Amino acid sequence: MNFRTYSSGVLRLLSVLALSFPGTGFGEMAQLDDGDLASVSGQGGIYLSGDISINELGGPVQNSYFGSCADTSKKCGARLAYRLKEGGGWMVLDEIRGKFSFEGLTLRVRAVDDGFAGDGQLFNRDVLEIGLPNIVRYDSVEFKLAASSTARPTDPGFQQTDIIAVEMQGDVILEGNLLVFPTGNP
Amino acid sequence: MPKFSRTTTTVASSFLVGCLAAFGYQAANAELESLTETELSEVDGAGIGVVLEDFKFAHGTDVENGRIFKIGGLKSADGRDVEVVVNKLYIAGANSNYGESLSPVNLGRLINPYKIDVIDGNDIGIDDKAVLEFAAPAMMAATEGFDCMSASAVAGSGTCSSRPSSESYENGERPDIGLQMNVAVGDDRSANINIHAKSAVIDGSYLRLWGDNERRQMVGQFKLNFYTPELSINACEQNGSTCGSRILMQDFALELALGNTLQPMFFDVDGTGNFVVEVASIRKPQAGEIGADGLQGSSTETWDFYEDYYTNPDYRSNLTVGNLSVGDRDFGSSRIEGMLIQHLNIKTRDLAHELSNL
Repeated sequence: MNFRTYSSGVLRLLSVLALSFPGTGFGEMAQLDDGDLASVSGQGGIYLSGDISINELGGPVQNSYFGSCADTSKKCGARLAYRLKEGGGWMVLDEIRGKFSFEGLTLRVRAVDDGFAGDGQLFNRDVLEIGLPNIVRYDSVEFKLAASSTARPTDPGFQQTDIIAVEMQGDVILEGNLLVFPTGNP
Repeated sequence: MPKFSRTTTTVASSFLVGCLAAFGYQAANAELESLTETELSEVDGAGIGVVLEDFKFAHGTDVENGRIFKIGGLKSADGRDVEVVVNKLYIAGANSNYGESLSPVNLGRLINPYKIDVIDGNDIGIDDKAVLEFAAPAMMAATEGFDCMSASAVAGSGTCSSRPSSESYENGERPDIGLQMNVAVGDDRSANINIHAKSAVIDGSYLRLWGDNERRQMVGQFKLNFYTPELSINACEQNGSTCGSRILMQDFALELALGNTLQPMFFDVDGTGNFVVEVASIRKPQAGEIGADGLQGSSTETWDFYEDYYTNPDYRSNLTVGNLSVGDRDFGSSRIEGMLIQHLNIKTRDLAHELSNL
């Protein structure tokens, strides 16, 4: 509120100045009223392209000293461990490796007030829209879901049961918009 | 977290006013108090709603074009590697003609979305716990919902929230889902197996997770509702030339309840690195708590507990198939209703490790 009063005061001052000194060229700036200002919308949103690579080939150097993905006594790739019970074993996502590339993931805030077969009008709010990139290229993406007795493979007494191992490669069709918004009554 | 922030603000501001009034300015160390379990269970965070608009997903294996989708790591009983090759997996709009023409679909409704939320355990029968919930669109009142099965359902015909595809709303909220795969055990590769579900609905499904104080363990409750007017399975030659008879299940409804508030599911990994899922047996009543005639004995609370356990439909699993046909033969309808899981213990076993110990 204060800001608006202040800025319109400044603008008025500027107009007065402009009127007093017509030669200085201030005259071409017109004051926007509140109604006009409300309809101004900045060019919003972000457009992302790129790739994420997780230990795709085991890094730039592969040898017996730094480690190699060919070395079966070692693990290659990221590992995420989660313990389900105090003193219990670990649920792990293991040997996560590969490269995901995408072109044109978009991010913006969108006002929804129509569409969705009538739901849009009822909803009438802003959502965060993540525009999916249509095609995601998977390059040798692999991961394993496993259960393990220890958090790290190097811990003593390590035993692991692989439940499933997934391997994905090539173009995956992923189209649409992911709309995210708060629910409930905060 | 409305309660938390509201309380803190009030406490902080009155504390501040008091300080200023009595002592003038002093360095005010804000006093943060820990919340008790009971208070914490009152916390009702605003959740996150998620809707997918114009969504389409497809992936598969097409070796010539560099596409691979494999699931491995499994072993057969005799120790050979089992590999599942997913030839095609799709989630797309209805009327896809078994995945031939993929069109976009909306998943979730803006007014009833997929939700990730922390809910008050006291509201759902889990006393004094904050519960993390992942939920599909909730069921609605039958006066405004849509029939879960019919692909031409109109408002007021059932309890499902997701609307079928129609002329005026082509996307709809019920996707066609399909999977084609083959399984190789060692060098033996099976035929291609196709599974397709038309206009599928999973409304009312959820996964709830919380912690158990006594066992100090993650526990959960899983409800899966799956309705489709047509679920079909058939097998084809590797090259797709000839296919066997199609097993067709019309009006397929699965309502699976794994774990409930009285008997939650326990998740664990044991010392040998095997994954364990357990539904504990329900306790037996003490002598005299239930009368010899099955009616109320010495304890009203105990009787109510067992009454709820045996009668609450939420604890039971159902499977109904409107009509089962194989090729041109009809086998009529089948139902399995009111299954109550008394005890469950599933444990993975590392065959590779056991075989090497033989």
